[in-house]
Amino acid sequence: MWPKSKPYLMSLPALVVIIVIFYGGLYEGLIQSLGYFPAAGQSSFSISAYTEILRSSDFWLSFWLTLRVSLISTMLAAVLGLVMSICLFMLSKTGSSRWIPFWRRWFQLPFVVPHLAGAYLIVLLFTQSGWLSRLAYHVGIIDEITDFPILVNEPFGIGVILAYTWKEAPFISLILYPVLLRIHDSWHDAARVFGANSLNFVKEIVLPLLMPAWFTASFIVFAFTFSAFEVPYLLGVTYPKMLPVLAYESYSGDLADRPEAMAIGILIVLITAVIGVLAYRFGRQWLTASGRGWL
Amino acid sequence: MNNARLMHGMHVVLTFLLLIIVTLPIISLVVGAFTQQMPWPRLWPEYWSLRAWEYMISPTSDVGVAIWTSLSIAAAVTVINILLAVPVADALSRYSFAGKTWIEVLLYAPIIIPAFVSVMGIHITFLRLGLTDTSFGVMLAHIAPSLPYMIRALMISFGTLGFEWEEQGRMLGARRMQRFRHIVLPHILPGIVVGSGLSMLVSLSQYLITFLIGGGQVITIPILLFPFASGGDPNIAAAYTLVFAGLAAAALWGLDVLLNMYYRRR
Repeated sequence: MWPKSKPYLMSLPALVVIIVIFYGGLYEGLIQSLGYFPAAGQSSFSISAYTEILRSSDFWLSFWLTLRVSLISTMLAAVLGLVMSICLFMLSKTGSSRWIPFWRRWFQLPFVVPHLAGAYLIVLLFTQSGWLSRLAYHVGIIDEITDFPILVNEPFGIGVILAYTWKEAPFISLILYPVLLRIHDSWHDAARVFGANSLNFVKEIVLPLLMPAWFTASFIVFAFTFSAFEVPYLLGVTYPKMLPVLAYESYSGDLADRPEAMAIGILIVLITAVIGVLAYRFGRQWLTASGRGWL
Repeated sequence: MNNARLMHGMHVVLTFLLLIIVTLPIISLVVGAFTQQMPWPRLWPEYWSLRAWEYMISPTSDVGVAIWTSLSIAAAVTVINILLAVPVADALSRYSFAGKTWIEVLLYAPIIIPAFVSVMGIHITFLRLGLTDTSFGVMLAHIAPSLPYMIRALMISFGTLGFEWEEQGRMLGARRMQRFRHIVLPHILPGIVVGSGLSMLVSLSQYLITFLIGGGQVITIPILLFPFASGGDPNIAAAYTLVFAGLAAAALWGLDVLLNMYYRRR
């Protein structure tokens, strides 16, 4: 056997499968978005689906809503995830070691809960008849069920943001925690010798070390929240819809709307691909420096 | 010293706060699953109820079938992912060759790029091939979003395995399969376990692509949960959610626990 071809042969099975079932699907989606859809009697190419979408106000409303929701969710999850990882890290320095694995798993719980289930937890907790509103009544903040604000299925997407923040913060901490574990006690001592207090230590050593992983994790969360379907489908409103829901609804509707549905899908793919490239750029340092990346 | 005490106090408060944020939804879920139409200001049920669970084990619900379908699809996806990922993860982490970065990018892209768009596009071909409405078709659709996690987990394992052990094995007369079985496999086993957990988790969690390809004929737990969660019986929805989350947690952590038990026995 030609020795140079060995790694290519080893990569071949996975590559073939992914190219056929993933990129093949994207390719079919692309040509359908260009109006090539023999099943509906269309066999010519045009970009009319794209021009129509980019001209419709519904699309732009959905776009800004999606962008806003995913940006806010990402920022909240990033901050909460950072705090979570630092708390876990400090716990591992001070707490008794027997309980550390337990607490680490407990904090990971939202990461394990599937998105649809996580969305339903938000329904149980944050609707007007939900658990928090009952709690607020007993604490004496509200007197009537209607005093509790509407947080789920309302046009700003608060419920969606809450669900994503709860779900993704542990994901971020899962990525940051191993990076923190690389910080040795001796570094803290050395920093003290040079006159740094704890705050300096965090600012000068801990944060720069975390940055690349933090950025990459946040980009992944942003791409995910921008393009995921389950949570906004359950917690959103009929108008304006978030982009993935808009794509699905026009896909499942009239066959004649298929090109537009696929065009929205392809636009989502393009946007997430750009985010992916940014994540890779920011994360390269972190991915190669440690060689272990995430998990 | 005062500074250290302040840090400690902040740490305790923040940890406690995070604990509440993580735990509160779970408590409301458990309460929801074991009660029956609790009137509004009540925080804690007057009496507990197993009605949702009685419904679940009754023949009218498909929950047994759904658990079986979910798990068998997830298991099949995971086995296929292991077979595909072992060679490519080996190549990507232990060999250097031209185009390696591009192969990595192609294989990792489904982490970022949503699979549902690809599934919408390929649906028409699946229809032509008779793969829609079948568990097999759903399983094929679950490969793309889960394979990258298996590859990543295995690459980490292969990264700490040089070629020296296999060379030694070869010199001692071990054949290819023997070298794989006795040298490579024990080393990458933790990676396989982590990758399998993630792969099962991703497969179990899919709602949209299962619905698109399964067409409502392939009943998995999320497919069963959705109508209850979107305005159906809240207690049954809570019970399903509990089963769903429990299944996912068991899939992710169960293998890990088994592996630890196996290591401890040795």
